Amino acid sequence: MLGLGLCISRASASVLNLNCSLVLLPMCRILLAFLRGSQKVASKKTRRLLDKSKTFHVTCGVTICAFSVLHVAAHLVNVLNFSVNYTEEFLALNAANYHGEDPRKLLFTTVPGLTGVLMVLVLFLMCTASTYAIRLSNYDIFWYTHNLFFVFYVLLLVHVSGGVLKYQINLEEHPPGCFHPNTTLQEDIPVAGILEEPFPEYTPEPFQAEPEPFVQNNVVRICTEEPKFQSHFPETWLWISGPLCLYCAERLYRYIRSYKPVTITSVISHPSNVLELRMRKENFKAKPGQYIILHCPRVSALESHPFTLTMCPTDTKATFGVHLKIVGDWTERFRDLLLLHSNQDTEILPNFQQRNYPNDDWQCYKLRRLYFIWVCREIQSFRWFADLLCMLHNKLWQENRPDYINIQLYLSQTDGIQKIIDEKYQVLNSRLLIGRPRWKLLFDEIAKCNRQKTVGVFCCGPNEISKVLHKLSNSSNSYGTRFEYNKESFS
Amino acid sequence: MGRIEWAMWANEQALASGLILVTGGVVAVAAQFKGWPFAAYAIAAGVFVCLLEYPRGKRKKGSTMERCGQKYLTAVVKVFGPITRNYYVRAILHAALAVPAGFLLSTILGTACLGIASAIYLLAAIRGEEWNPIEQKPQERPQVGGGTIKQPPAMPPPRPPADTRKKPPAEVAGQENPIPVTIEAE
Repeated sequence: MLGLGLCISRASASVLNLNCSLVLLPMCRILLAFLRGSQKVASKKTRRLLDKSKTFHVTCGVTICAFSVLHVAAHLVNVLNFSVNYTEEFLALNAANYHGEDPRKLLFTTVPGLTGVLMVLVLFLMCTASTYAIRLSNYDIFWYTHNLFFVFYVLLLVHVSGGVLKYQINLEEHPPGCFHPNTTLQEDIPVAGILEEPFPEYTPEPFQAEPEPFVQNNVVRICTEEPKFQSHFPETWLWISGPLCLYCAERLYRYIRSYKPVTITSVISHPSNVLELRMRKENFKAKPGQYIILHCPRVSALESHPFTLTMCPTDTKATFGVHLKIVGDWTERFRDLLLLHSNQDTEILPNFQQRNYPNDDWQCYKLRRLYFIWVCREIQSFRWFADLLCMLHNKLWQENRPDYINIQLYLSQTDGIQKIIDEKYQVLNSRLLIGRPRWKLLFDEIAKCNRQKTVGVFCCGPNEISKVLHKLSNSSNSYGTRFEYNKESFS
Repeated sequence: MGRIEWAMWANEQALASGLILVTGGVVAVAAQFKGWPFAAYAIAAGVFVCLLEYPRGKRKKGSTMERCGQKYLTAVVKVFGPITRNYYVRAILHAALAVPAGFLLSTILGTACLGIASAIYLLAAIRGEEWNPIEQKPQERPQVGGGTIKQPPAMPPPRPPADTRKKPPAEVAGQENPIPVTIEAE
């Protein structure tokens, strides 16, 4: 009845089953963070693989889209064939109600058809909103449409429960190709030819061993009863239920854990639109390089944003801090709430979730020397961490380790007037260079000074710099120094 | 949610719908379905929509990513002036183009998707958005110093010292950090 369309749609459905279940797994962030930080997963390769979870999610998503196109195309052909090849002989196999039924009616009035169409529309909305350009310019659209995935999964669970696919349950009593004494054979199906014509939607395994004996014996079995068909169990439910339950459990856990209050101890305003926020939360542990996600219901009920920790809680002091740059409407409203309405009782405290370990790999390096290269557009931006850098430098100077940290500050845009950061930061002023850093020369210099050693490169910045650094890290140099590239990722 | 620019999303949707229409049309024409003239129409409409929507409009705030090679089509689309600039026109145009493709099974999804794109364009038009072409930036002067210096000094030497130069009064010098910064001993 259906021919090739059945094969393509079933094959693509299997791929879709796998991908729909895998796509949820990289989004179970707490589970991934736990795996990444646990002692059992000590291998650096595994950790770097876990860092690429967002890429994996995107790959699965793209595969879902591609195979959905195939699946939909094949099913549209199937719908047509159901209508055209309506069979009087095996009424139970038909999806159409009569011969020549309008396929569009079939599409919209059956459960699988309707849920399929709705799923395509949801997928269309989700995909068009997930392109790089939209994520960059209007992250909100991406975020709100992507939450439609829940609708998609509900529709998927209903889609496969339609029971259109059937298999024959009484193969013993009515093997395919048997001769029924009481009915007249249809004219265009010769007796011998019955064996070759593929029977629609029957499980082929029990039949595989049979064809040869039938032909050789030249005996056609007599069937004792009419064929009976039963719907396949929707195996999609088996594929999806695991990851879906895991993801729901994780969301519930995140929700519960975010209810513990966070106290804001201070808010400091820095130049160039930067706000420093210091907070305290009980039993909060974090390592350098981790980030937290802030969620403030008073500012926005649904949005939450990641910020790298600039100060981690230690054994002696439980305060931790982040620096935020006021760039979009969420940060602006957050700043207004903190600075202008600070006399209110701060119950709106940001709930947050502690997250992954993007740049945790520094722990496996035995740190001998640190090269700190910071590129800013405005000179006042250096004040964000000027105190910390100066103090660190002075401390190392006192300990007679002046070359432990190598600070280089670059001012990429200058209006021609020589500027200094401030008189009290002489250490930094003497290390201030005008213009963008010349990465190749820097890498050569570092390679020359650290021959045969491994240098970890940690980049936090825009993609262009990241690409250049990645390329330079992977290229070989004549001093035998190895560079390992790490990038900050909020996945 | 205040500053969402819907037109950009509608643009992506319309481009995708154009491709869906073309795919559905090609399938129907190749298989010679009954009613394949609709499919041929769908292919033509899909190609037209793709060409119209390929050049991305300029965002109100911030820089816009151009699509690869879009400047040629931008020149063509710009010529039509207010017809292509106004999003009401685009919304109605897409709605009208979508309807005939709804009569054939294989292009019905293209109709639905283009219909959604048309609705989002209507929303963008109601919020006063407009299509503005992305202009080419003027040729930058040749880089001095290997591209490391973005703006060479405007005045020739000898340059007077900092305090006698006319400087816009910037922030108060010497910001005091209200909370002293300490280094945690590891």
